[in-house]
Amino acid sequence: MEQFIYYLKVSFKGIKRAPLPYALTIFILSVGLGVFFANATFYYQLNRDPLPHKSDKLFFPMLNLVPYECSTDCKTPSVLSYNNVEKLSQTDIPTQAAAMYSADGYLRQSTEQAPLPVSIRITQRDFFSLFDVPVLHGSIWPDNSARHEVILTKSSAEKLFGRTNVIGEKLLLDDRNVTVAAVLDTWQMLPRLYDANNQNHLSDTDDIYLPLETGYDMNYLSNTQSQTFDDTDYRQLSTQGRTGALHQLQYWVQLDTPAQQQRYWQFMANLVQDEKAAGRHPSAPNNQLVAMRNIVSYFGGESSDIKAFALVTLLFLLVCLFNASHLSLNRYLSNQYEFSLRRALGASRSQLQLQMLADVLLMAIFTIIGALITGFAGIKLMNQLLPANSLFSNWDLPLLLSLLVIAFVCSYLVTLYPSLRASFGTLNQQLKE
Amino acid sequence: MITLTNLSKIFRTELIETHALREVNLQVEEGEFAALTGPSGSGKSTLLNILGTLESFDSGDYLLDGKSINGLSDSALSKLRNEKIGFIFQGFNLIKDYSIFDNIELPLRYRGLKPAERKQRIEHALELVGLHARRHYFPSQLSGGQQQRVAIARAIAGKPRILLADEPTGNLDSLMARQVMELLEQINQQGCTILMVTHDPDQARRAGRNIQIIDGQLHDSTLYEPLSAQSA
Repeated sequence: MEQFIYYLKVSFKGIKRAPLPYALTIFILSVGLGVFFANATFYYQLNRDPLPHKSDKLFFPMLNLVPYECSTDCKTPSVLSYNNVEKLSQTDIPTQAAAMYSADGYLRQSTEQAPLPVSIRITQRDFFSLFDVPVLHGSIWPDNSARHEVILTKSSAEKLFGRTNVIGEKLLLDDRNVTVAAVLDTWQMLPRLYDANNQNHLSDTDDIYLPLETGYDMNYLSNTQSQTFDDTDYRQLSTQGRTGALHQLQYWVQLDTPAQQQRYWQFMANLVQDEKAAGRHPSAPNNQLVAMRNIVSYFGGESSDIKAFALVTLLFLLVCLFNASHLSLNRYLSNQYEFSLRRALGASRSQLQLQMLADVLLMAIFTIIGALITGFAGIKLMNQLLPANSLFSNWDLPLLLSLLVIAFVCSYLVTLYPSLRASFGTLNQQLKE
Repeated sequence: MITLTNLSKIFRTELIETHALREVNLQVEEGEFAALTGPSGSGKSTLLNILGTLESFDSGDYLLDGKSINGLSDSALSKLRNEKIGFIFQGFNLIKDYSIFDNIELPLRYRGLKPAERKQRIEHALELVGLHARRHYFPSQLSGGQQQRVAIARAIAGKPRILLADEPTGNLDSLMARQVMELLEQINQQGCTILMVTHDPDQARRAGRNIQIIDGQLHDSTLYEPLSAQSA
């Protein structure tokens, strides 16, 4: 340890001898790494798997079950009608299943208050267990029947009541009475893959949750994606929405085993055959069962901007590495005399490599500080340029650890070749120079 | 102690081959003080560098304490340089931004000695060269002669058995040169074998033995009576 502290002191002496080239090396590395890291943050957060333990068990079924025969664009609709969902719900193969859509509304405690605009997720009870939503107070609806009970997020409860334990409190949702059944704990599924079919997965979570049946009873239409394939009067959702071909429901099922998945796939195929036989499926069967893991790529929701940025910043990092390495080489070659003197006086190459490790450590520390500052500034700038992605600008522990590793590897690469060049060579000649 | 057998060294460039040393045979006993003399370019420094393992040789053998250094690994050669050989260079080769103490400590650092032992050895070496009071000075604050004495202190702090000096007085005036020579004689009297490259016939005479090299060949190996004995 004492020797390593000595190596660090030697490194500091080396820096003091030529502070400008050293600072320039650190600056170049910091800028390269910081820009790369800012972009990597978005890339990592946008492409991360929010439910890694079950993203291969959650599936998004789609049926081409519409009243018209498709002639040109025969893509299966990504949303289902209420009727379709009822048919899909007739099996007990999935461990859990929930239909859902989102709508806009206004919420307040009394008519005297100004209404608060809210985003409503209209769904079924399994939604919360499907996506591991934590409950802070109260309990989730006991079944999927209609009830005028809402579930609030923690922030909505705090915004409305200034506290979180508000179970049983009355609210006006678009001036209709509802009661608070539960309050969720802090929860942010990023990206919200259950909403990827309409490419809305990069937005914030909804503010309140309402039972699906109640949502239909209250005539809430989807605010993201709805398609009608007949003359359904969508304004009369409570009466015609359940029977007509108004497609607005996302449907998620949990299929834990391959056997379960196979059985469900067969169930869908049989369902479509039955519908065809009954004359309710004029188009060719085109069932889809997409795993949550693949949902973004299936619907083409990957951000091409971020991908392109990632490539550009990686190339920029390589250019920075090359330049920093060149500067470092000059610095080491100017110190070659000292390397040779140390070797002549008995330092082995392995001892000089330990010295190099001390150099790498110092360079990595300075570079990490510089890269964090540059990265932070880069993220702020990206948030200004692409505000839609601002939810994905957070640093977490794995991301920070990967920055540390990358900064150390870059510092090592920048130091490795120059130090090897400096520690190999004819001692006698270098000492004379 | 040192045995060279048919040792040759050739410097090669794309166009030319220079035979720096041709089949040199040499025996140096423990405790000897030998001067390596000869015209410029004759191979004196090359021989000294090979003896100090700073340079490799092309053929022949080099035995140090009866063991061949041929084929020794880099770390073995470093250990050998660190523990058995001390170097004194014509240009002093001190690190400018290190204090005198830190400069002398350099080889001891790589030997893995404990701080207390390093300190004790450095202080002893500084006392021997008469610079103990200036141990916190930097090389630029010392005269040439003092800097060379620091270099000598650095060379002897590790208690080497062989001291290799390449024109140690080449950059010094006559007074300083005499002081350095007296110091080397004192070190030799304590049992350290010294091989010194010099152009100065007087200094060569002060060494017990003169090894003359001309065109890479050992021409004469003259044993002098030490000056101290002559004056007596």
